Amino acid sequence: MKQRAPWSAAVVLGLALASGCGSAAAPGPSGGSGDALVVWDWKSGDADAAAYLDKAKADFATRHPDVDVEFVAQPFDQYYTLLGAAIQAGRGPDVMLFNGGGQLRDRVDALVPLDEYVDQDRQRLSGWEAFTRDGKTYASPVTLQGHPLYYNKALYEQAGLDPEAPADTWDDFVGDCGAIAGRTGATCFGVGNKEGIGIQFFLSAMGSAVLTPAEYDDWIAGKRNWSSPDVKRIFELWEQVGDAGLNNDGINSTAMFNDAFALFQSGKAAHVIGLMSDIGHWKDFAEFLDRDDVGVMAAPVVNPAATPSLPYDGGIGYAVAKWTRDPEVAADLVRSLTSSEALKAFHADAGAIASDTTIDVSAGGPAVTAITAAIRTGKPALHVALSSRTLDLMGRLSQQLVSGSATVDEAVAQLAVSDAAG
Amino acid sequence: MVAERAGVGAVAEAAARRPGRPFPRRPRGGSRAERLAPFVLLAPAVLIIVVLRLWPLALGVNFSFTGDGDRNGTAVGLDNYATLFADPLFRTALRNVGLLVLLLPAAVAIPGLLATFIHLRVPGHRVYRGVYFFPAVLSPVIVGAIFNLLLAHDGPLNAVLGAVGLGPVDWLGDPDVAIFAVVGVHVWATFGMALVVFLAGFSALDPSLLDAAVVDGASFPQTIRHVIVPGLSRTIQFVFVTTMIGMLTSMFGLLLVMTGGGPEGSTYLPEYYIWVQQGQFNQPALASAASTALFLIMLVVGLAQIAVLRRAGREGR
Repeated sequence: MKQRAPWSAAVVLGLALASGCGSAAAPGPSGGSGDALVVWDWKSGDADAAAYLDKAKADFATRHPDVDVEFVAQPFDQYYTLLGAAIQAGRGPDVMLFNGGGQLRDRVDALVPLDEYVDQDRQRLSGWEAFTRDGKTYASPVTLQGHPLYYNKALYEQAGLDPEAPADTWDDFVGDCGAIAGRTGATCFGVGNKEGIGIQFFLSAMGSAVLTPAEYDDWIAGKRNWSSPDVKRIFELWEQVGDAGLNNDGINSTAMFNDAFALFQSGKAAHVIGLMSDIGHWKDFAEFLDRDDVGVMAAPVVNPAATPSLPYDGGIGYAVAKWTRDPEVAADLVRSLTSSEALKAFHADAGAIASDTTIDVSAGGPAVTAITAAIRTGKPALHVALSSRTLDLMGRLSQQLVSGSATVDEAVAQLAVSDAAG
Repeated sequence: MVAERAGVGAVAEAAARRPGRPFPRRPRGGSRAERLAPFVLLAPAVLIIVVLRLWPLALGVNFSFTGDGDRNGTAVGLDNYATLFADPLFRTALRNVGLLVLLLPAAVAIPGLLATFIHLRVPGHRVYRGVYFFPAVLSPVIVGAIFNLLLAHDGPLNAVLGAVGLGPVDWLGDPDVAIFAVVGVHVWATFGMALVVFLAGFSALDPSLLDAAVVDGASFPQTIRHVIVPGLSRTIQFVFVTTMIGMLTSMFGLLLVMTGGGPEGSTYLPEYYIWVQQGQFNQPALASAASTALFLIMLVVGLAQIAVLRRAGREGR
């Protein structure tokens, strides 16, 4: 027994000395076959996506009747872990679903640029930017994802405010929140920052009301000045909103999905920064609130030089793996998955604001009408421009700002370093 | 070769004639099938260990010396380890490992004490045995979801605290509290197995010692200190080591559901760090380096386990 311990150590040492060769992501053979395509996503198990997929499959079958398509629904919380393992093995699905932004951009080495295949869809669909890196497009957008500021019109009425004319300046907004709290007991915001998502939504929803248009465009273009007073002002605002009691209690232990949204739906919070794809959005809220009570307002102006706009990007989109045998056929499947007929069904059943903005959404009610009207003047969301690593850091720093264990200056300094590292 | 065989035969004969050996050992050099039989019988186990244990371990260690992203496939020496130990999150994870070790005595004492009560047949002891064991069969995800509700800021526990005039505690949102909340729930969910081990230990404890303590008028704490603890020393040591390993390697599910490593990264453990690097940041090489570090920690724990059990065995003779 005594000799086993040194032997164990010797094995580890030997492995260490003999290591350093090879790769964690060795290339491998194709995962798909010529007459079958495998698709990974986290949507195909949802009943709300059934009609969407049926339409997409039917569209693809008309062009490739000899190619079978198999959808494999993965659990979302493990999706990128499983995908990472597949990418390292060089085997996996031919077509895969991605969130726009960092999750896709971190993995473009495993993807086929789709520019030559999706050229005909350029004008019809919006949200391409979130699926682009270094000028190449790696996925076609299915939905648009953004962060409208939703408000509860019924609470406005109870507080004696005009629900059709919410405040358009920050000071008036805070005043209205005081009235709502005093007369209804509801907090101003429903926020969940347990996973650090609350700050992401706040940054993007309030950013256009704080940054000047030039600062906003620079941020999206990658020229981010973290020490500028306006950028710092966003984080100061985050801190002050908490200090002033405008949030629900315990936001660092409240999950955005679905605890924060539940606060809004149950009338315990007057506002929530929600989504516009297929979850945490107008349709979910309208299951509990009266559909006409779900309002959408522009971010109240904090900086007079700012021009508030709807922050949005491509939400989810399908990409093609570079190990697929016939990228053209796989890209055709992506085109079917973003066809107008399929996207119409996805909007109708799941309530998603589809990437095809020509789809008639008039049946969705006033909130959808307000969102789609704002798309024309909308801009990419600020947080989507950041890397996954910087977003993770921002989540932790935002929690520190809430608890008071970090200052705004410390937070932006750390974020600047992380952002510069890429 | 002939001389060699003759030598072997002489040794075998000498061994067979050794006093005290009841049966002489069969001379070596039987049929070829007999000589190969042990190797054939061992081969499946050896293959499984090599292919499914050692080879993946070797791959993991190997990956830890390669790069991620643009440096994928190139040897980077100890860069990943330098990155790892410069990362405050990983250092927090290591600090939390130390905290778990400090909390270990409580995690062992709770099932030990409850098993003592059950063994001493407190009223309703049969019910308690089942109730205490019940959480051990629940998935960590279910346990986490239940306690997320109970420990929510506006949840029932804070409602009770409010009713008795104590302020609400942000159990999962306060960085100074959250790790203790998660470890507490882990102990609640897993102490049933340790309890069973303790009860098994009690079954081997000589009841006359307990009777003698009662006759001598020993108090309950004296009985625990002078009779139960010495009598169950091997059991306690076993539970100590297995509980430690369980804390280091089995808290991932609970952590993911209850805090996601937060708030402020205060509840990170190495396992969770590995998952984040691999799954969220697509950095398999860095994750492999963290895995190797965790393996080394476990190796140290395992060697400590061997040392403890060896000492316990010596004392038991």
